Amino acid sequence: MRDSIYLAWRYLRHHRTKTLLLVLSLSVFLGLPLIMRAMSRATQQSLLSRAEATPLLLGKKGSSLDLVVEALYFQLKGAEPITKADVDGLQAMDLALGIPIRTGLMARGFPLVGTSLDYFPFRKLRMTEGRGLAMMGECILGAEAAEALGLGPGDALLTSPSTLFDLAGVYPLKLHVVGILEPSFGPDDEAVFVDLRTAWVAEGMGHGHQDLSSAGPDVVLKRKEGTVTANAKLIQYNEITEANIESFHFHGDPSSYPVSAAIVVPHDEKSGVLLRGRFVDAETRQLVRPAQVVDSLNKQIFRFERILEIVVWTVGLATAVMFVLVMVLSWRLRAEELRTMTRLGCSRWKAAQIMGSEIALMVGASVLIAGVFGIVMAQYGETWLQTLILRGS
Amino acid sequence: MLGYSRQPVISLRGVCFEYAHGGFSLNVGELTVASGTRAAAIGPSGSGKTTLLNLISGIERPGSGEVSTAGVRVDRLSSAGRRSFRITTIGFVFQEFLLLEYLDVLDNILYPYRLHPELRLDASVRSRARQLASDLGLAELLARRPSELSQGERQRVAIARALVTAPSLILADEPTGNLDPATKQQALDLLFEQCEARSTTLLMVTHDHGLLDQFAQIVDVEALGPAEA
Repeated sequence: MRDSIYLAWRYLRHHRTKTLLLVLSLSVFLGLPLIMRAMSRATQQSLLSRAEATPLLLGKKGSSLDLVVEALYFQLKGAEPITKADVDGLQAMDLALGIPIRTGLMARGFPLVGTSLDYFPFRKLRMTEGRGLAMMGECILGAEAAEALGLGPGDALLTSPSTLFDLAGVYPLKLHVVGILEPSFGPDDEAVFVDLRTAWVAEGMGHGHQDLSSAGPDVVLKRKEGTVTANAKLIQYNEITEANIESFHFHGDPSSYPVSAAIVVPHDEKSGVLLRGRFVDAETRQLVRPAQVVDSLNKQIFRFERILEIVVWTVGLATAVMFVLVMVLSWRLRAEELRTMTRLGCSRWKAAQIMGSEIALMVGASVLIAGVFGIVMAQYGETWLQTLILRGS
Repeated sequence: MLGYSRQPVISLRGVCFEYAHGGFSLNVGELTVASGTRAAAIGPSGSGKTTLLNLISGIERPGSGEVSTAGVRVDRLSSAGRRSFRITTIGFVFQEFLLLEYLDVLDNILYPYRLHPELRLDASVRSRARQLASDLGLAELLARRPSELSQGERQRVAIARALVTAPSLILADEPTGNLDPATKQQALDLLFEQCEARSTTLLMVTHDHGLLDQFAQIVDVEALGPAEA
């Protein structure tokens, strides 16, 4: 057997390009299901772990999946908002902590997330640089966002205008970076966090401008019963500073302002059950368990994985056929060698052993490569893929 | 004919052979080649020279008659037995050399040892192979591939491969057919020299009648029996 392996090895080594191509194609065939499973597991895990860490989610009645994707992963922006009053009402029940989430705007390509200070300890997010939010107009960057933008505490960034061509629309707001979060390998890494009121200002629901009481006639068009009408000369602030923060205000009732969703953290299990009971028949709002929503999504992913598996097996079959074809053609080309072996006195069994050793060595090398790849994927793949998936999403 | 006083290495008696697909048959009334003899098999193309070598080596089995090689009734051996007998008892030299490009010179010489479990490749065999290579002027070429050698060098490697198992009989099928005249004589001299040094019997198929005076026995295949086309 040793001689057969030796001859097979020498043959494969001599035809190293052909061997390498065959081994690599076999490795891909063997490794593909591993990568696919790792990807699927990473996707499911990344979705599930965040969902499981979020006990309940309050949002507008509608698609629970849209609500979860928007509030937990800061993706999509189609879910109907609830109001700040809904969140306050929930708090008033004294059964849970309500953490508002406002998404929809972007800041230089990263989602702008308006929330409360409770969000950070709830998600166990810690600062790697700088400090937490202290006043309106400040922002905290997720690790990925900070790295991609090359920003740190003391820097500033502008929110992206919702529409470029509406001159009367909302202008970008300059945000002051005060802190950077440690990597958490989740959607928080790519977010720009601001105070909820800052998010409203960025959306144009609140604004700041020069003091009209001291403004001259070149700015004021008319004053009537406490209502001052100004012209375009009025200086609008696009940045909240200590000097102008007092001038920022909201028109109307802030409790009617929109909130995309609220993370609901019940005080205990009983509170959670009571809360769910109270929202069972709610007409305009829904209280969902993200883990349940993601679980049903994972079932869909699993079904998709099965389809992918069929594709992989089809590709695998094609690879195997190609492999057999290459081997058969190779043996036909080596007919003279096989004849010499027979004439010298080599048995058919021995010849088959040599050919078999060639196949075994190639399959062995492919299994080894696929195995090493599989181990590496099992060790680090989840982190890589989570990063990849979240970056791509 | 010389060497009849010695024990015959090749002995064919009343042999009839016909290929399964028909079209060619070889009949041998009687043929004896004594041990240590240098014999040449001659005859026109298609007369059955290669078939004769195949019968002697057990590659083919006769329909009837006796084939005895190195004292063994080859015609009575099983297929596996004939293969085992062939690789341990007979050395082959082919016209096309049939060396393996993926093996270097040393591995080509040792090739028979890789093909059969009865031949054990140990340090003494390796040493013998190196000595043989040295005797045939291949000592400096052991790490080369066949494509890096001249025709004459390749034939010398083929001769070394045939001799490495210390066979009692060498069957050479037109071994100089692909060589130029100068190299041809050089290769023959080496083959004769090595066979003589080891008292190995040589049966060589050749078309070159100019070489016949160097052989002790001439086997005219056409004259062995009625060959039919």
